[in-house]
Amino acid sequence: MKFTSPATGRRRRAWILAAVIPAAALAALTGCSSSSSGSTSAPAASAPASGAPASGAPASGAPASGAAASQPTGSPLTVADVAPFSGPDAALGPTYLASCYGATSAINAAGGVDGHPLNCKTVDTRGDPADAVPAVNQMFASTSNLALVIGCTSDEAAAVVPIINAHKMAMFCMTGQSEFDSVHFPYFYRLVPPDLEESYAMVAIAQQLHYQRIALAFGNDIGSQTFIQPAIAALKKAGMTLATDQSLDLNATTFRTEAEAIVQSHPDAIMTEALGSADPTLFSEIQQLNGGKMIPIIGTSAAISPPFFKAAAAAVGASTLASDFHADNLVTETSGPAFQAFSAALLAQQGKVPGATGNFTTYLSAPGGVHLYDGINLAALAMVMSKSTDPSVYGPDLLTIGNGAPGATVCYSFASCATLLGAGKAIRYEGPGGPTNFDSYHDSTGIFQIDTYSANGQVNVVGNLTAAQLRALAG
Amino acid sequence: MTVFLASVGFGLVTASVLAIAAVGFTLQFAVTDVLNLAYGAVMIAGAFLAYVLNSHGVNIWIGLVVAVAACAAGSVLLNACVYAPFQRRGAAPITMVIVSLGMTLIIEFGVQAAAGGTSVSYRMSQGPSVTADGFTLTAVQFVVIGLSLLVMAGTYTLLRYTRLGKAMRATAANRMLARNCGIRTGRVITATWAISGGLCGLAGVVFAMDAGSFDATSTDLFLVLILAATFLGGPGQAYGAMLGAVIIGLATEVSAAYITPSYKYVIAFVALLVMLGVRPTGLLGKAAG
Repeated sequence: MKFTSPATGRRRRAWILAAVIPAAALAALTGCSSSSSGSTSAPAASAPASGAPASGAPASGAPASGAAASQPTGSPLTVADVAPFSGPDAALGPTYLASCYGATSAINAAGGVDGHPLNCKTVDTRGDPADAVPAVNQMFASTSNLALVIGCTSDEAAAVVPIINAHKMAMFCMTGQSEFDSVHFPYFYRLVPPDLEESYAMVAIAQQLHYQRIALAFGNDIGSQTFIQPAIAALKKAGMTLATDQSLDLNATTFRTEAEAIVQSHPDAIMTEALGSADPTLFSEIQQLNGGKMIPIIGTSAAISPPFFKAAAAAVGASTLASDFHADNLVTETSGPAFQAFSAALLAQQGKVPGATGNFTTYLSAPGGVHLYDGINLAALAMVMSKSTDPSVYGPDLLTIGNGAPGATVCYSFASCATLLGAGKAIRYEGPGGPTNFDSYHDSTGIFQIDTYSANGQVNVVGNLTAAQLRALAG
Repeated sequence: MTVFLASVGFGLVTASVLAIAAVGFTLQFAVTDVLNLAYGAVMIAGAFLAYVLNSHGVNIWIGLVVAVAACAAGSVLLNACVYAPFQRRGAAPITMVIVSLGMTLIIEFGVQAAAGGTSVSYRMSQGPSVTADGFTLTAVQFVVIGLSLLVMAGTYTLLRYTRLGKAMRATAANRMLARNCGIRTGRVITATWAISGGLCGLAGVVFAMDAGSFDATSTDLFLVLILAATFLGGPGQAYGAMLGAVIIGLATEVSAAYITPSYKYVIAFVALLVMLGVRPTGLLGKAAG
């Protein structure tokens, strides 16, 4: 090619423009609709494709029935997954979506909620309150048949919970923020513990493993920062030494300096929660700077997810992660009728959930997978019991079904519970997350277990933490 | 001393990745007159292309070559289909910046839609580590530093000794005059997009190798560092970008060793602001008038 010539070329590329600009626009629309601006319907496996909106509409007279029920024919209701689908915490949204797909498809297979099928919708908060608020406002503006919100992680809960509550919409949130321990939002429900309890659980794991010097490495996002002060207090109470406390900028691309500081502080273990690419990057840099040897890691329950395993295992090696990683997690069922129904419902969605990557069976232990499945079932059963899809009407029944009235029959799946309700019996739902006991703030927290990974990504329960252990570490 | 040497080592790696990216960025800006904020998005697209190949069993170094070629072609297309038409219509520089911002979102979300929102890593060995008095680097990091030196030498040779390089410099200095002197500026600009796009792809893959784990949004902050290095050295100055990259890379890592790491980027930008306050055209930029 010559670059010097008397001629001055001018070319028209209108034909290229005509072909490529629409393609680029299409790509942009695809990107935005699937993840960024986040208000795209994600059809449940067996949900009908369309139907008239039915927000707050009284449930039809069609009886809820058991497994042999016919397909629901009423207008569809929407469960919105309000969570990060992009940004550093992008793994959270698909985890919750997996539980939504599993629960709603099982409910729809059992005849739906009084004839109304449920479907799932993604609302991408990008893990940032500034993006979450307009996304939630848009959700309310565009979703007239909304019946339940799930997700609302610590990243955005403080910003969106008041908005959702103001719209009188029931929500099951995956936030551990302590402000929800004592502020009453009538439409807020939570099946996960406050972050400070999870901090105690991490310290209790360190105690059980006989670690003395602990380094902290938490992300600079709201959800991760809330662990630090309770963890420091608990470490002091346990007589352990805080080796170093490193804050990780989730937008940074390397953490070599932080990793070097951690290695130089010679900790026995590192407590961490820094989602996205931060933790995997930190782990690989620690391994590199520590002569190829990993320092044991204690993670939070958020680390029990396929995307985390996939990214961390790729960064340091699956066998290294299997041998050097522990995480706290709420005790969940691993057998019995509730687990069987849950695993059947969830595993039927394998390969169907957008954004769900890695070993799908890990979702059976992921806190979001388990507890939001329970939350959706509780809400759906409350709708059946109250014969209404209006949260202000079905809310009290949700508590009744969760806590159980005297003489209530314990049931373990939507289908079996709905059949009992149809027969006029009082029920208590016990899902794979175990029995619920909602307090006056609608919090229901369980006890903790210790999880590890196998090299293939399978989650193993290797111990339990008693309530007494956590109380001993509480300030 | 150990901490200082360690942070200098980390700074050199960061500077190396940054230099590859900043040289491509500043060449693009100087010759084409487009402050292409989509550069970071093209970088991550290249990194993901190499990842896709790597995850299908292709050696990452072959993936790197493919990413370089694809980003070169992609950048030429980006200019031909998006930027050039706007420029032909006399779009103002700020309009071009907004257009490039739009392309950033289109490319980044496109990658995210295709690849998902989760982090990925290359299947590759980092090779043996070399440790000396706190200075620890892996074989791959040495390769990254070597590639960076190669890019700097290549850029110097290109601009100094080749006809294309001279034509690029002439076009950057005064496009109208260059055209009147018989330089086919259109071809020069296309070649510049191809070369800078190739450097962008190279930067994307070595960035991802260095980070260890990356996702579709990983270059968001890195683009700001590229801008800082570019403007510190003097916008449009290839050698200035190299110098700026070294200063920014070392400033971030060395400051992180002595102040809290949370402020390492703040320190880099304070250095940039001070420098621009003293010398607004950057270290190697020509003074106005």
